This record gives sequence, structure tokens and C-alpha cells, in this order.
Amino acid sequence: MSTKPDMIQKCLWLEFLVGLFIAGTLSLDCNLLNVHLRRVTWRNLRLLSMSNSFPIECLRENVAFELPQEFLQYTQPMKRDMRKAFHEMSLQAFNIFSQHTFKSTWKEKHLKQIQIGLDQQAEYLNQCLEEGENENEIMKEMKVDEMKPSEARVPHPSNLELRRYFNRIDNFLKEKKYSDCAWEIVRVEIRRCLYYFYKFAALLRSK
Amino acid sequence: MVALLGAMTLVLVAVAPWVLPVAAGGKNLKSYQKVEVDIIDDNFILQWNRSDESLRSVTFSFDYQKSGTDNWIKLPGCQNITSTKCNFSSVKLNVYEEIKLRIRAEKENTSSWYEVDPFTPYNKAQIGPPEVHLEAEDKAIMINISPPGTKNSVMWALDGSGFRYSLVIWKNSSSGEEEIENIYSIHKIYKLLPETTYCLKVKAALPMAWKVGIYGPVYCIKTTVENKLPPPENIQVSVQNESYVLKWDYAYANVTFQVQWLHAFLKRNPVNHSYKWKQMPNCENVKTTQCVFPQNIFPKGIYFLRVQASDGNNTSFWSEEIKFDTEIQAFLLPPVLKVRSTSDSLHIYIGAPEQSGSKPVNQDYPLTYEIIFWENTSNAERKIFKEKTDFIVPNLKPLTVYCVKARAHTMDEKWNKSSAFGDVVFVKTKPGNASNIWLIAGIGTVSITILAVIYVVKVLLRCINYVFFPSLKPSSNIDEYFSEQPLKNLLLSTSEEQIEKCFIIENISTIATVEETNQTDEDHKKYSSQNCQDSGNYSNEDESESKTSEELQQDFV
Repeated sequence: MSTKPDMIQKCLWLEFLVGLFIAGTLSLDCNLLNVHLRRVTWRNLRLLSMSNSFPIECLRENVAFELPQEFLQYTQPMKRDMRKAFHEMSLQAFNIFSQHTFKSTWKEKHLKQIQIGLDQQAEYLNQCLEEGENENEIMKEMKVDEMKPSEARVPHPSNLELRRYFNRIDNFLKEKKYSDCAWEIVRVEIRRCLYYFYKFAALLRSK
Repeated sequence: MVALLGAMTLVLVAVAPWVLPVAAGGKNLKSYQKVEVDIIDDNFILQWNRSDESLRSVTFSFDYQKSGTDNWIKLPGCQNITSTKCNFSSVKLNVYEEIKLRIRAEKENTSSWYEVDPFTPYNKAQIGPPEVHLEAEDKAIMINISPPGTKNSVMWALDGSGFRYSLVIWKNSSSGEEEIENIYSIHKIYKLLPETTYCLKVKAALPMAWKVGIYGPVYCIKTTVENKLPPPENIQVSVQNESYVLKWDYAYANVTFQVQWLHAFLKRNPVNHSYKWKQMPNCENVKTTQCVFPQNIFPKGIYFLRVQASDGNNTSFWSEEIKFDTEIQAFLLPPVLKVRSTSDSLHIYIGAPEQSGSKPVNQDYPLTYEIIFWENTSNAERKIFKEKTDFIVPNLKPLTVYCVKARAHTMDEKWNKSSAFGDVVFVKTKPGNASNIWLIAGIGTVSITILAVIYVVKVLLRCINYVFFPSLKPSSNIDEYFSEQPLKNLLLSTSEEQIEKCFIIENISTIATVEETNQTDEDHKKYSSQNCQDSGNYSNEDESESKTSEELQQDFV
């Protein structure tokens, strides 16, 4: 058990060095994708804002979902963590909008477009996640992990803050039985969340 | 003393009932050490060991406590159990919050609690086997995987779009497995043999949460007889003049084709009734192996396309699906050229093309430009690559017409896309003679300016000399009357200002007398100086007057 932290350290070091090497070669690929990402994110933001004004009767039901604080300070040094979080956020938001109990206060066309847009976001982010964070890479690593005895496996506790936030949104929708007001509130909340990540995407220009 | 003893016994009596069962419970504590919690999808499986087998009359109960609260809640389905195993499904638990469990062993009205280490259910959860539905074609198998857990799963409520699957497929008749990883719920395996039985097993994974599930049961299916018409192959999309061109290969003639498209996002979270391929309107029953459709046929996004052949009686199976991103594959419009010519070079400016509607995005992209130019009369083309948008092509012939065209390439290795060539620009280089004339004229103007500058400098120097270093020749009149030396002395001493004035005045008045006696030189000097002083005294009044006027002025100031 005592060798675990050592192994973790060694693995992290190796990952870091490999990541540096890969980052050099990946950056050319990702410059283009970052441009696409910014554009798609902006389009999604506009989509989420494009609707009739927020109905007044829904103001009563408004709830604070408590967006996790760390995303409000997007000057975080670890751009990699933000990218991961952005990827997860895109998938979670996509999941919410894919629930087919969505009654259209919002046109069918917009719903489809936002699903397209969020899917694109997730796709572009996934491509540029660095070594070890990309979905394909993780699948391969997990396969390698499985072969090891269970003591040697490196634990990867996931960051649950973002999940808790989306869980609150999901529970709210279920509680309110997917009413129109609930959907309006959720739409505004997700727009708010996406806006913070959009600021991050704009920062990627400087990369 | 007695009171003390009494108090002590009282205390002992009070404490005893607490102490004794603890001592007794100590044995019970040891009787179950490890409580293992396994979570598969929504099922919590609790297992523990009972080290002391003789204690068969012990019953176990479980309570749970949510983090942040103090009360223990009874766990339904795990109360008063005699065996060492218990199942419950996630009650109204928040799977992302930590919970604590405690287990109690009851024996003849004595019980004690043992707390299990707190854990977060989501982190401990494992992914169960997914459900698989298969459909066979002649050389392909279509797989439809349902996500693990039930439809209203609490554990995977937020992960619906995050599941990825891996499968292992093998031929029933032979050994040799093939593993396919990281696929979506709906997947098609191509390049199989017809009329063969294939078996496969599937497991689910959540890459972003670093979870891998366990393999499900093995499913087998037999591929059908080979179809008369093979499906089209080698499908590619390219862009031409504001529309997309879809091309494919087909071995046989006299067939018509049709094209279908699908939103790519439906593969992430397919729900059967919305996972529908749609017909491409411009491409129904086309006879050629290509089809052109306008750019505005669907909104920007990622799509899948597939093609099918038909000869009237039979239809082929669908071709392999290609992924197509309208953003990445179709964004490059040809650049706009502006060319200026000199006699032996062309100055080229590359501008962004005008895009209708959306923001001009091209300046964001890292692009390389390929410029091809040739003389109008010959066919020999010269190609250069530049990343700047403003540059000069040198070493050209004068008075010739050159044709220039350019296109843009992305600097990406992965998406090696290029725009079409822009319009050809015709430009004629300026005549060489003309340039010679310009050269001569230039030289001429330069030399004239140099001469002018020299002249001006000369004049300036003269002025300077005149002002600061004046020539010491006196006027001719004075020359007649004076020997040089004393006059020189007198004149040289004019450097002192006030005294200078005095001297001149005095000397002029005594001009006639100086010549006669040299001796009187000193005298006359003195005289002059004295006079200067006198005149100084004289002018004291004036000075004082001027002083007072000065003072007055100062007062006013």
C-alpha cells in the first residue's frame, strides 16, 4: 500500500513529460479546433438566449442552483482541468436537453440545433483533451488497468462538484414534473453556465 | 468517607450497565469485521463475514446516515437479517453525496453498532452489463445497445450521453477474436463474411468517470446470404462553389442511388423513435455516382451520410456511413487577390473572401496560401507557398502579362483541407525603359537636392562665421589715421561691454592728440578710464532714474 503514492507520483511525472511532448504536436491540430469551438459555443449561447422573454409567472419558482464556485474564477492555472470540466459540462447539458419530455415553449427547431451544437462542442473538446484525458486514450488505459491486480490500479476519483450541480438541475426538473416554467428556468441556468465556459474558450485563443 | 464510598458505588452502578454490554458487545464486534459494499447499477449489495459461527441467533440490521445530518435512517430491506448478505436499491439517495452505514448485530436484546467507512455511492458504483439487440445483413451486423441500468436509473441519470461500449466478436466456428472499442450505442460492423455465425459480448464504460463495466452475456447471430447488389463504396464529400459534392464508387452500371443523412448527435443518446435517417432531397434516384446538394440543406453541424444502390428489382444494403462536419470540411472559401505590378515584380495582397451572413472567420484560422502564376503566353506555372497575406514576387520580366491564382490550405495535418482556386487575376508588368527613365530622373533630383543642400550649408557657415568669428579688418578711413598696434589694442579691448563703449567715445574725442606723444598712451587710457568712471558717475542719475523706473516696473509686476 505504501508503494501506491510512489507509483502515482511516477505515473504523474511520466504523464506530465509525455503530455508536454504531445502538447507541442497537438497544438497545431487544436488551434483550428479552438477556433471552431469558440464559434460553436457562441452560437449555442445565442440559441439559448433566443426566445421570448422569460415569462413573469415563472419568476416565483426560481431556484438558486449554485454553480460551483471554481468555475466562476476562470483564471485557473490548470487549463487542462477546465477543458475536462467543459467537456463534461457539454455532455451533461446535452443529456438534459435530450430528455424527451421537453415540451416546446421553445421551438422544436431550436431544440435540435442546441443538441447539434452541444454535441459539436463535446466532440471538439474531446479531440483536444491532452494525453490521458481523451476518451479514446482513457478507454485504452482502462483496458491496461484491468490487467493489473486490483492493488496496483491507480484510483481516479472523479470531480463530483459539477455532477452535483447538474443533479440539482435534474432533480428540479423532475420535481416540477417538467413544467414549462421549470424548463425556462433550466434553460436560463444552462445559458449562465455555458457563458462562464465560453469565457474560458475565448482564453484559449492565447494558447 | 462513607459518603464518598456511597457516591462511588452509585457511580459504578450507573456506569455498569454501559460498560458490561460493551464488554459483551466486544465479542460481537469481532464477530463481523469486514462489511463489503458492492454497487452495480442501482443495486447495493452488502456482504459481511461472521467469524464466530456459533452465534447463529444473531440478526443484523442496517441504518444509513446522509452526510451533514445526524439522524440514522433504517435501511429498508436490510432489517433483522440472519444471513450475511443484503440487497437494496438506491432509495431516494443522492448518489453524489457521501453516506455512512452502520450495522448492528442483535442477540438476546443486546446490540451494538459498527460503523462502516463512509463512501460516495457514485464513486463506488460499477457498471452492469448492457442489453444488446442485433440485426444481420450479408456482410455486416448492426448492433443496438441499451445503456446499463433501468430506464429510470438513479445512478446513471446524468450519464445517458456519456456511455461508450467495447465489444469482442468472434466467429463461432473458429477461434480468433476481434475487439472493437469506444463505440456508440448504435454501431455497424462491416467486412464480415456472409452466411457465417458470429458471436459477441459487450461491456459498457464511462470514460470520463474512469469506470469500466463487466461483460454482458454472449449473443450470436448469423449473417444472411450475399446480396446481389453490393453497397456503394469509398464515399467522399467535397466542396465546390457553395455546394457539397458527394462521390462514391460503384462497380455496376444501370443502377440508381439514393442518399440518406442523420444528425450525428443521435448516436450519443439514441432513443428509437428519433433515430431516423432522412432522405436527401437532391439525391433521390440519381444515376451517376455523385450527387450535388446545396450548402443550406441542413444547418451547420455534424452529420452522417450513407448511400444505397438499386436496379429496380433489388436494392443493396446501405454503404458505410461517413462522418461529415460542415464547419470543418466546408469552410474554406477561395481567397481574394489584389495585385500591383512594377517592372520586375508583383506586389500581391491576399484578402479574406466575403462571406454572406456569418462573421468573417477566416482571419482566425491559421492558413497557408498557395499562389500559382504563369506568363500568359506560356504554360510554365510557378508555385509558391506563403503564410503572409502581403508579399512581393520578384525577378519577373517587364512588359509581360502574368496570370495569378491562389487558394488557401489549412495548416493542419489532420484536416488537410483546401479551398478551391480563386478567380485568376491578369496583370501586366511595367516597362523596363520607363523604369530607366525614372532612375535617371531620380538620380537627377537627388543630385540637385544635394547641391541645394551644400549651398544652403555654405550660406549658413558664412553667417555663422560672420556672427561669431568676424574678420578683423577695420574700415579704410580709420586705417589712414591709425598705426595698427594701438588701434588693435583699443579695438580688441572692446570685448568688455560697458567699458568698450566708454573707450570708443573717449578715444574718438582724443584722436588728434594721441598721435603726438606715445607717452601719453597710458595717460589717455587712464583718462579714458577715469572718464569712464566719471561718465559712470554722470550716468548714475540716469541709472538711478532707470533703476527707479525698474523698481516701479517691478512694483507693477
